[in-house]
Amino acid sequence: MKTSEVVRAAWRESRGAGPRLVFFIACLALGVAAITAVSGLVDAIEQALAAQSRELLGADVSVQARRPIGERVDAYFAFDDARERAQARETPTLAAANSKSRLVELKAVSANFPFYGAIKLDPPAQLGELLDATTCAIAPELAREFGLALGDELALGGQPFRVAAFVLDEPGRLDIAFTLGPRVFVSLAGLERSGLEQYGSRMRYRELYRLPSAPSEAQLADIKRRINDELEEAPYLRIESHREAQPTVRRSLQRVESYLGLVALLSLVLGGVGVAQIVRAWVASRTQSVAVLRVLGYRPREVLAMYLGHVALLALVGSALGALVGSFAPHLIAQLATDLLPSGFEVAWSPLALVRGVALGVFIALVFSAPPLTAIWRVAPARVLRSDIEPLPAPRVVAWLAGAAVAGGLFAASLAQSRDFAVAAGFTAALALLAGLLVLGARGLTRAAAHVPRERLDPYLRNGIAALARPGIGVVGATVALGFGVLVITLMGLVESRLSERLRNALPADAPSVFLLDVQPDQRELVRTLLEECNATSVRDVPVATARLSTIDGVPVRELAQRRAGAEGREQWVLTREQRLTWARELPADNRVVEGALWSDPARMEVSVERDFAADLGVRVGSELVFDVQGASVALLVSSIRTVEWESFGINFFLLAEPEALEGAPHNVLAAARLDVEQERKLQSALAERAANVTPIGVRAILEKVLGVLEKLALAGRVLGLFTMLTGLTILAGVASTAAVHRGREVALLKTLGLTRAGVAGLFGVEFALIGLVSGAIGASAAFALAWVFLERVVELGADLPWPMLGVATLLTALASAVCGLAANYRALASRPIESLRG
Amino acid sequence: MIAVPRLECRRLAKRLPSGGHELTVLAGIDLAIAPGEFCAILGPSGSGKSTLLGLLAGLDRPSDGEVRLDGERIDDKSEDQLSLLRRAKVGFVFQSFQLLGNLTALENVLLPLELAGVAKPRARAQELLAQVGLGERTHHYPSQLSGGEQQRVALARAFGPRPSVLFADEPTGNLDAATGARVLELLGELHQREHTTLVLVTHDAHVARHAERRIHLRAGAIERIEFGASAGGQGASAGGEGASA
Repeated sequence: MKTSEVVRAAWRESRGAGPRLVFFIACLALGVAAITAVSGLVDAIEQALAAQSRELLGADVSVQARRPIGERVDAYFAFDDARERAQARETPTLAAANSKSRLVELKAVSANFPFYGAIKLDPPAQLGELLDATTCAIAPELAREFGLALGDELALGGQPFRVAAFVLDEPGRLDIAFTLGPRVFVSLAGLERSGLEQYGSRMRYRELYRLPSAPSEAQLADIKRRINDELEEAPYLRIESHREAQPTVRRSLQRVESYLGLVALLSLVLGGVGVAQIVRAWVASRTQSVAVLRVLGYRPREVLAMYLGHVALLALVGSALGALVGSFAPHLIAQLATDLLPSGFEVAWSPLALVRGVALGVFIALVFSAPPLTAIWRVAPARVLRSDIEPLPAPRVVAWLAGAAVAGGLFAASLAQSRDFAVAAGFTAALALLAGLLVLGARGLTRAAAHVPRERLDPYLRNGIAALARPGIGVVGATVALGFGVLVITLMGLVESRLSERLRNALPADAPSVFLLDVQPDQRELVRTLLEECNATSVRDVPVATARLSTIDGVPVRELAQRRAGAEGREQWVLTREQRLTWARELPADNRVVEGALWSDPARMEVSVERDFAADLGVRVGSELVFDVQGASVALLVSSIRTVEWESFGINFFLLAEPEALEGAPHNVLAAARLDVEQERKLQSALAERAANVTPIGVRAILEKVLGVLEKLALAGRVLGLFTMLTGLTILAGVASTAAVHRGREVALLKTLGLTRAGVAGLFGVEFALIGLVSGAIGASAAFALAWVFLERVVELGADLPWPMLGVATLLTALASAVCGLAANYRALASRPIESLRG
Repeated sequence: MIAVPRLECRRLAKRLPSGGHELTVLAGIDLAIAPGEFCAILGPSGSGKSTLLGLLAGLDRPSDGEVRLDGERIDDKSEDQLSLLRRAKVGFVFQSFQLLGNLTALENVLLPLELAGVAKPRARAQELLAQVGLGERTHHYPSQLSGGEQQRVALARAFGPRPSVLFADEPTGNLDAATGARVLELLGELHQREHTTLVLVTHDAHVARHAERRIHLRAGAIERIEFGASAGGQGASAGGEGASA
């Protein structure tokens, strides 16, 4: 059979399909809308990132390091005679004014920064021209907090800076990125005057290049490779071209997309379940037509092609509609939640997201219609002669293939959404398991309903229970779909609320609430006094030396890093990062040696390594680590591996050396203490006044930040979960309306028997409420069980779930279901008693 | 004299499970139908007429015996092979018309034509509908047509791909006498024009009167066979008590 014939036949089949069309389209449209909204939003941000990449980076190429960048790097860009170079340095530090203080993100820039994009200032000015050694530009929120006007003074590192402008917009500073405080710009000369750049300070150095010769991507890659091969300091450098546009932001964006994408997929999968329900009812009503087609000489697979064509046609309409609606989401979000998107970003239409949504929608619809369509094989052609003919056995391979299509399709769709093989496999398996549980639960309940002795029950309840037990009206499918919706929403709500609550109360009673970084050795006593004045408890301070790993068991770290070159992130980073070592005779209380023994070799200088870190480095007891401590080479023997209770939030290090090993090494001090919120503010002011180089990091503030991100994600998750619930209700309404014809007669009869319209509505309401009750109970119970497992066993936070919510969720589902079912039967309810007299 | 019969069955039997035991619907039917022959199968309800038709047409499978179409066995073919066979050689007309309700008259006739790969199927479908007197109603849906008109569409659909055998199962069963007569007349005309082998199943001797041979079934077995159209009164019978009225 030719494709054109399939299309024609499918088109003919679509005519007069009525409510089937509406529900089919609605089921898919909801899921596709969710999917398109997520990928559209991510695409919009990515497009904006790519389109403005030069402005975001402020240059063509940026070289970044945690230590001063040597002049030799410049030689690699010498091919471009017209090149320009700018510098930027960033560090978190304390700012103080009007006897208030807070942590800010200080950025010191050379006069020609940035090359691309403008830092919008009020009053309008060029940043480079505005800043001199005594001026600064600050974020308006800092000005508000401190009560500063233009011309007022702000102290940085104890030095006064005059506020010359407010920073209205800075390209590249995204809300989704993690920031410690509002922005303050100074000039390089200003930074020098502040004295903040000293040993151990957390400075990030950046060399920015403008390359008018516009080197190609290949040229830039070549430069990178040469720097990597030839420069000693290469492992510590991060070279970024504008073409890569914010790789870290993009990576976290991808993670968000993967998570939200899968949540969105859930509603599409449910839409698939709905499609399967509708197709099942539709094929059942078409048995006679299928028999006729078979008699005319159509093979089952040709009938299948025809019906699949019909499904594809409807799916295309539904998905296109959904994609269209979903693609409005980024625009809507840009309008409603302005702080969610980076400032100044134009939300563009994303045709790719549209195509993707439609493709996924049609794909899921086709895949999920496969199992119900296997019924075609069971239609005996002889049915045209006798209606009581035995159905044929469907070939085993057909049933098997249909099952495989669903499983494979699910996996493919989740792979497309998460772009991660393991995640997709886990997601598919979890879905299959949950669906299995819900089917079992729904089947068990319908069976049980059949056996409830209902004669003596209230007639409303009797009718409702009888309806649950009635075979073949899709109760199981609707229950599963609705149950899934309830599960998703309840689960997300539970996990998110528990996690935030745990995070809010995360600080153990004696854990430090503030860490003081960059304390110089000669400030140690002063800091101790200041802490004492603020009634601090759990005070601890330890020396910290920064060092670079040179070799592990004689192999240079550069070589090791190159071997891991393919691996992103942590694997390479553990080798090349600036290592922080502390030293002590005794282990802190929350540390435990699990392998080897502390300071056990009198002949050697030793180091104790945290277990996970040791695994990342690839070292074990007996390994030798050579560190470059500010130019001096120090060899340390790994004599023990220890575990650390990180949850205690105390001061802990991956690397703990024997005290004698680092004697005399340049170092600074890390202090930690617990203070209440009021005292924390007092300490901040005292530090700003008397030890301005010290950076206090409040644990509470960081937790708040994490909470903020978590809440945004959870909100998005719950909105998408709502789509799942809506899809479930749509399916329920679809099932209800399929039976509406039959119900019309039932209503007429009941009215003839003397029931009022309200009475009939009550009767049906109870029936749908019961379905909702069952779905709600199964879905919410599963959600509670999963939440318990996740909180108790996976993140080990202790579940402490609000069990009464189980009942509330169940009852709410019952209510929603009753309303939805009645709405779908609105026309049937209007049937007149006279109709019962007509056949 | 039959050289290669168009349709042939030997020791054909069909048994169905009924309650605890097996019910014999057909037992040991032997029959050969020549190309171009008009053969009627007659019998009261429950005599096994429709079952025999289903088996001869390859819609159903026998419990015993074999069926051959153009000398080729069809009872051992797969469902797919049977589909292809039907599409190439077999046409049907049913008592309850069996038109597809969501297709127009023209589309119903087009369906098997497209399937058989007939050239210019639309023109042929129009022509066929004109032949059965429905040239003006090609875009009507079955629900907009009377019973007789629906059956005429079914006739056009059945003859469309020029099948070598056409099975008609009580084609006038749901029609009034006058309409039924018109349909039978058309069936006869089309049979003559297309030289199609025609197998007609009916309980009505009057409907079967134009058949060249009438096979009377009773309780799943051939009771008697009559030859020659009965209208002129020259019918001869074999294995029975003589010509029917």
